[in-house]
Amino acid sequence: MLKLNTKIISASIAVSAALVMTACNSGASASGSNHSGASTVQTVYADGKAVIDGGTTYPVVNGYTSQYAVNTQVDSETLNHGRVPTAGELAAWNTDVTHIKLPPEGKGTVEEGEVLYEAQCVMCHGDFGSGGGGYPALGGKGEASELQKTLKAQRTTPDEDGPVRMFGSYWPQASTMWWYIQDGMPHPKSKTLTHDETYALTAYMLSVNEMMVGDIAVADDDEFELNRDNFADIVMPNVDGFEPEIRGENGTENVRTFYAKASNFGGQNLNQGAVRCMTDCQEPTAKIVRIAEGGGIRDFFPPTNIVRDLPDSAPVAIDVKAEYAANCAMCHDTGAAPTVGDRAAWEPLVSKGVEKVYANGINGTDTGMPAKGGSSLTDAQFKQVVDYLVTGKL
Amino acid sequence: MSNNEIKNSELDVQTEQTNRRDFFKKAALGVGALAGTSLFANEAAGEGDPNIMHHVKWGQTWGDPVDKNLYGIPSAYEHNNTRRGTKLLASGNLRASIAVAPIHESQGIITPNGLFFSRSHGGTAHVDPNEYRLMIHGLVEKPIVLTLEELKRYPSVSRTHFIECPANGGQEWRGPQFNSLQFAKGFMSSAEWTGVYLKDILKDLGLKPTAKWMLAEGSDNSEMGRTIPIDKVLDDAMLVWGQNGEALRPEQGYPVRIMLPGWEGNLMVKWLKRLKFSNEPFFAKEETSKYTALKPSGKAIQHFYANEVNSTVTHPSPEIDWSNLKDGDRVEIQGLAWSGMGTITAVDFSIDGGKNYVKANLKGLVLPKSWTRWSIMHTYKKGQVIQLASRAIDDAGYIQPTVDQETLITGVEAVYHRNAVETWEVQPDGKVRHVMVRSQLKYDKETGTMSIEGKA
Ligand code: HEC
Ligand code: HEC
Repeated sequence: MLKLNTKIISASIAVSAALVMTACNSGASASGSNHSGASTVQTVYADGKAVIDGGTTYPVVNGYTSQYAVNTQVDSETLNHGRVPTAGELAAWNTDVTHIKLPPEGKGTVEEGEVLYEAQCVMCHGDFGSGGGGYPALGGKGEASELQKTLKAQRTTPDEDGPVRMFGSYWPQASTMWWYIQDGMPHPKSKTLTHDETYALTAYMLSVNEMMVGDIAVADDDEFELNRDNFADIVMPNVDGFEPEIRGENGTENVRTFYAKASNFGGQNLNQGAVRCMTDCQEPTAKIVRIAEGGGIRDFFPPTNIVRDLPDSAPVAIDVKAEYAANCAMCHDTGAAPTVGDRAAWEPLVSKGVEKVYANGINGTDTGMPAKGGSSLTDAQFKQVVDYLVTGKL
Repeated sequence: MSNNEIKNSELDVQTEQTNRRDFFKKAALGVGALAGTSLFANEAAGEGDPNIMHHVKWGQTWGDPVDKNLYGIPSAYEHNNTRRGTKLLASGNLRASIAVAPIHESQGIITPNGLFFSRSHGGTAHVDPNEYRLMIHGLVEKPIVLTLEELKRYPSVSRTHFIECPANGGQEWRGPQFNSLQFAKGFMSSAEWTGVYLKDILKDLGLKPTAKWMLAEGSDNSEMGRTIPIDKVLDDAMLVWGQNGEALRPEQGYPVRIMLPGWEGNLMVKWLKRLKFSNEPFFAKEETSKYTALKPSGKAIQHFYANEVNSTVTHPSPEIDWSNLKDGDRVEIQGLAWSGMGTITAVDFSIDGGKNYVKANLKGLVLPKSWTRWSIMHTYKKGQVIQLASRAIDDAGYIQPTVDQETLITGVEAVYHRNAVETWEVQPDGKVRHVMVRSQLKYDKETGTMSIEGKA
């Protein structure tokens, strides 16, 4: 059933491309040069259905798939390795949450979620999920159903506002949020939240995104409790904002139909009326747009360099204050952790010995300090930052 | 001619070393002509090139013993050929970020494992291969778990494919941003992958007819998952453990990742732990919040799988430009072409920013869903400003769109899957700048459509 047979349809692009080429001043022709099975191009599978992504497939013909020789012995083998997992093992890993698979039993309120958020999330995601420092914004920008309207914003000129793509305004399914928080957050130490905590944090997300659960406006009710029973009532304003439609029995067929038409996804296909233009191919309105002098993105690390010399062996000097601001301040300046030069707070830690403090910082702790604060500093550089953090001196 | 005798290396190694470093520094500053002049001066004085007139240092001393680097490393002189990053491509920190490949230094159609672009959502995981388990379950008659050793017992195949992040070029929907080939197009790399076709494993598991989708889930900190349609699973999807003849690098998902030839890099889940078959898709974070492409209609494309036909000029580049060339020099212009939808059949080349094209030549191996090299010879005219552009075609009939053609349909907010023709501008001094040839667009919010400003 799984084997793809070797039926070949003949749709030579070499021919069609040559036909649509215009004003060709060089006698160009698209020249395919494959091995056996080469001069034919297969855009349908063995079952006659179009290739799902609108592209080409390479069935085995005469022992070759495109240029690769194949051991066709394998076709007639049914190999079985491994073992059947136990029910317990299956349950342990079968933890996805989707529109057809609710989260496990549990509950949590907006209030509880806010407390958790302030303790474990705010340092990266900002007040009410407003984002910052590159971390994604999670909410705090207004009513989800209003923000959904910004998806029709296009920055064709630099001074316009772009679309707001957040949980409330953009995501199609609420299940994604529960599943992702449970498995992927908090970022430095994922899979440490209980199910109840994840419900509470999801409820808080509903609140800061000003969303509805049934007819309840969650932002107006801090005592609102999210649980397994009302989870399916979460209203997602942009649930139908995506194409192709992948839900339901025709999901994969809708995908196939969508990608069969190049213009659906911004493609140009020579078999669908596109032209291989060789002369005068730009719109008369087209201009050369350049990066402004001194503009563009250029803060690369390491900076671009094509010199072939011996590396500098001197240790790389760091700007301790800047490293602190970039990697530590989000927690150590926000009350989540002891701050710069706060003797009272550091005293008990340092009394265990400085080496212990360094080691805890480098390896991370169970009480909130991620390994090296999540930075890419070397051990020696990290210790310099710790010295500054503890003493307040450079 | 006693002064033409080959001199001993030891005598002036020091000065030569400094000279060589100066030489490269000057070249890097684009004062390449200086280098030519000094060589010429030496010859005129009858001294000859000191690199020829002296025994080289490494020719008169022992080299390293064979057990020096039991796992070999590049020449120390190559230390600038590295991946690079920028904070602007980080979601806050460098654990959810990308380091891009130095494709301006890339040769042929294979990326060395240490230079392969690296992208993760929760940092590079370091999986213990002894503790590694892969579970395959859901709508199958017989679910299984495999150890790494058991997985590797299946008959293997090796295939050369690129992996491209669909955000390659995604910072430049509204105009050029990077004066750099590495950043403009380096969200991709290519390797020969070794593993097993997923369809060969599934033969024994009895896939149920209702199975339409498969979740691939990673075991890393972000537990990254994506939904894959069954058609791809049964066509050319592989579970791979080999990369260019050795184990996958941790950055590429050691010990096992899924390989979906031609498709978004993000779909090729790394540190793979679980495959689950279902009748419905899974709506994972990376296929809803991200990796969806907003169109002017306000609707977004989801499940955008294949990286469409694409190409770029790689020689010259903003990094390695033509400032060393003399007027009239013959030079090879080279580039890469690739398509996630098939095999490259042709590349057209333009020196006027995509107004007029001639046919370029393909060279080397031309493989499906693989990087393909192309090349054309050119006579350099000092002072001339030209715009180098390339346009690839694949065997499914796709041809790269102009910037206008693409943005008229997908707008300027899609983020992902930008494959319009890319343009480098050669400056009067031979330097190379990234530019974009496009019209000013006008958006009609009512109808959700784009048009070209000022077009009759
Ligand atoms: C150390 C910083 C950090 C902390 C602490 C943190 N996150 Fe995150 N969060 C991130 C990063 C980085 C991403 C983006 C990950 C990616 O790119 O895949 C993210 C993404 C998210 C997203 C997806 C956003 C989107 O629109 O795609 C959600 C939801 C989220 N975090 C929730 C939480 C919650 C809830 C907590 C607290 C329990 C938390 N985060 C704690 C760094 C953090
Ligand atoms: C995501 C939040 C977070 C970030 C980012 C962070 N820290 Fe911390 N750090 C904490 C918390 C919370 C504590 C206190 C609890 C503990 O020690 O576990 C802490 C404790 C510490 C300690 C004391 C460890 C001990 O227990 O002895 C050191 C040292 C430290 N941090 C250094 C740093 C440095 C340096 C950086 C930046 C390079 C940094 N931290 C970034 C949250 C953070």
